[in-house]
Amino acid sequence: METTSPAVRRLPLFGPRWRLADSPAGDVLVVVFLRGAADGLNIVVPFGDPAYYRLRPGLAIAPPDASNAAVSERALRLDDRFGFHPALAPLMPAWQAGHVAAIHACGSPDESRSHFQAMELMERGLSTPAGPASGWLARLLTERLPSEAAALRGVAWGTSLPRSLAGAGSVSTLQDLSDVRLSASPAAADPLRQVMGTMYADAAGPLGALGRESLKVVDRLERVSSLDLAEHAYPPTDFGRQLRQTAILLKLQVGLRVVALDRGGWDTHFAQGGASGWMARLLGEFAAGLAAFLADLGPASPGVSIVVMTEFGRRARENGSLGTDHGHGSVMLLLGHKVAGGRVHAAWPGLEDGQLVGPGDLAVTLDYRHVLAELCLRRLGRTSVADIFPGFTPSPVGLFLD
Amino acid sequence: MSLDRRGFLRLSAMLAMSTAVSGCVEHGRLIGTIASALTPSPTFPEDEPALSADDHAVLCRLTYGPSLDDRRRMAAIGRLAWIEEQLAPESLDDSATDVLLSAYPSLRMSASDLIDLSDKLFDEQDRLTVPTELRQATLMRRLTSRRQLYERTVEFWTDHFSISVDKGDCCYFKTVDDRDVIRRHAFGRFSDLLSASAHSPAMLVYLDNQANRSGAPNENYARELMELHTLGIDGGYSQGDVEELARCLTGWTVKDHFWRGQFRFDSRLHDAGIKRLLGRTLEPRGEEEGEIVLGLLAKHPSTARHLARKLARRFLRDDPPADLVERTARAFESSRGDLRLTLRMLLLDGQGARRPKIKRPLDFVLSSLRQLQARVQDARSLLDPLARMGHLPFAWPTPDGFPDTAEPWMTTLIPRWQFAVSLARGELAGVCLPIEGLLDAGSGLPGALRLTADLLFGSSSLSGVSDQMVRALGEVNVRDEHEALQLAVAAWLGSEAFQWH
Repeated sequence: METTSPAVRRLPLFGPRWRLADSPAGDVLVVVFLRGAADGLNIVVPFGDPAYYRLRPGLAIAPPDASNAAVSERALRLDDRFGFHPALAPLMPAWQAGHVAAIHACGSPDESRSHFQAMELMERGLSTPAGPASGWLARLLTERLPSEAAALRGVAWGTSLPRSLAGAGSVSTLQDLSDVRLSASPAAADPLRQVMGTMYADAAGPLGALGRESLKVVDRLERVSSLDLAEHAYPPTDFGRQLRQTAILLKLQVGLRVVALDRGGWDTHFAQGGASGWMARLLGEFAAGLAAFLADLGPASPGVSIVVMTEFGRRARENGSLGTDHGHGSVMLLLGHKVAGGRVHAAWPGLEDGQLVGPGDLAVTLDYRHVLAELCLRRLGRTSVADIFPGFTPSPVGLFLD
Repeated sequence: MSLDRRGFLRLSAMLAMSTAVSGCVEHGRLIGTIASALTPSPTFPEDEPALSADDHAVLCRLTYGPSLDDRRRMAAIGRLAWIEEQLAPESLDDSATDVLLSAYPSLRMSASDLIDLSDKLFDEQDRLTVPTELRQATLMRRLTSRRQLYERTVEFWTDHFSISVDKGDCCYFKTVDDRDVIRRHAFGRFSDLLSASAHSPAMLVYLDNQANRSGAPNENYARELMELHTLGIDGGYSQGDVEELARCLTGWTVKDHFWRGQFRFDSRLHDAGIKRLLGRTLEPRGEEEGEIVLGLLAKHPSTARHLARKLARRFLRDDPPADLVERTARAFESSRGDLRLTLRMLLLDGQGARRPKIKRPLDFVLSSLRQLQARVQDARSLLDPLARMGHLPFAWPTPDGFPDTAEPWMTTLIPRWQFAVSLARGELAGVCLPIEGLLDAGSGLPGALRLTADLLFGSSSLSGVSDQMVRALGEVNVRDEHEALQLAVAAWLGSEAFQWH
């Protein structure tokens, strides 16, 4: 078992070893948002529901025991009713070890079927537009301010801040750890940092605090930039790189509490593919990245909880372009060593006429906020979620072990 | 020395000389030299009034950063006349920019020629070549065009009808969409703009309508057409309306053989049934059904309010007051969707409601260049910094367009600072800042700092700003005045104040 990456081993500043462990502040939370409304019915395949195969003659994933499909095209059995899309095979070891749980037919009560409204409401932790403008992750962070390196308590990978972190004050968007410096030339970077420090020391304005935090991030991470951050096992994709660098931040112990990662490309109106094709490729990249992350953090990844979510699911019946239109219920995944894993948590509403809602969509039998609330209460050191999900009363789902 | 009228005159002469004798021209392309020769050398009558802070703020909002020419023009004719002049772009000679654009042949090509181009070039290279030229041209227009308000309005509609060049053949078709839809109609009638967009192969591919056919509808375009392009999410339509509109638009597709990349209505793919939407019943009429619904949507009161709110948000403030939105919506309706008249009403009526807006990264980059009188021979070196800041034109993945409020952009300032320092140090290929010219015009560092502060923050911001910088510079190691000014420029571009306009 390799717990220390080569990069970190060469970094005396942070000590020879790193260890993640249960902390009173709770787990570090990693949120993976699949943007574009990921098709839950082809991620966690309800092969036990015959209507699934009627509705999706061109897109359905064959059941695990299908004799007329190659093994690589069959769903990976999770229980008697559900199976993973075959491209999620890299997650099966973690599933079998009980570190992955799936929650099906969950989502938001919002029925706009609008990406933008659904994402906004979900990231604000609400069911209607009335309510706080800030994001649920921002409100989660507000109480948990570590004394130093505050800007690195929340990190969003990418170029812009996700709505879920809006209003958090000091959080960081990062693109690549090797790139956090003012200039490649130290002769330019050092005096500039000094002048910026003077200038921002008393800058009022809404960006003043952000500037001061940005300078702190530079101070903290510039030292990382000279290291060879190359590591094994992660897939050579943006997602893989962001997870690898998340692992490095965890090992550097910079005070990370929340990490947000976005994956786009799930708005599969057209040529979605089945066991292979567009969505299978996305899922393969996604699963390989998460599997590498879990392996890198150690077999049980203590101290880290991962949640995977999307704004809504897709129409049960495939459309005429071998794709799927906007739907309603979808899936969430939870990963971590205290997850009640190896199980699909679902009050399955069924896919028959009369069971579908709206224009023919999987019903939502579990509000996504029950999942997030339980995560906050059981793993993130929260005793109440009243401020995170205002007006919402969570009830226990049983998603975590004691 | 503050930038008084004589200072203006002296500074423009110095800066022109400085960029002419510096390495910029040697390494630059001939085209840049031609363009500068065509730009009339501005004169500055001595009896002009200086710009007020508020006029400067108007310029900052309605241009991509006030150049000396813009400041001079505003001071000469006054705010109202300046806005009216900008609302009549055809009256402003723009031949210098046109010459620059001749460097990008793909701008003038038809969709089928653009696709043919792909057969002649290596695929990967070509899929970048066409959008890269479009991006370079877009940046050069915003940097150099005298029709600044028109370019800003083009940007607004580009966001409104956002298309990512990263989806399929949009990498070719967006060039046509930019020319024949957005630029052609940005100051025209909304119904024409909407109709052109609905017939635009780039839009039909981007939102999958080319796959929307009878018996197998694809709702993607129909939904965004109502939610984003016209009525707005609260505009009073239902999921049923989305489905019925999708049926109306079945068969609206893109030719894929002869005349590839042209709009085509394929009646064989069209759903011939009766449709019911927005409280109406539509008898089967083929392509005309779509045209009828587009007409209904264009003049729907919800559309007027939706567009008015977005325009006010773009041009005045993140949270525009309801009464101003209402008046703008009425101007839209009473002018039957005349976008120029609507904008005129908003800009003439709304200046009192203007509040600082965060500069989106592109505003930050372009205002740095324009206000410091940079000479840009090649905008290519701006693309990577823009991508790192999350604002590479035509790269927003989703159809809602780049965000237009402060919050999504309130994130780490490091990429902005990185751009500022590479610009100040002359590290961006084809981009030249007149550092020597500023030192000459200011007769040394203290004067140059005051001039630079004036260029960046306006005439009424002075003294304190540059005094503070002099003190800060005194505490760091720099080799000479040149390096000190570079450092000051980088720090000011990266300052809190310069991130707003």
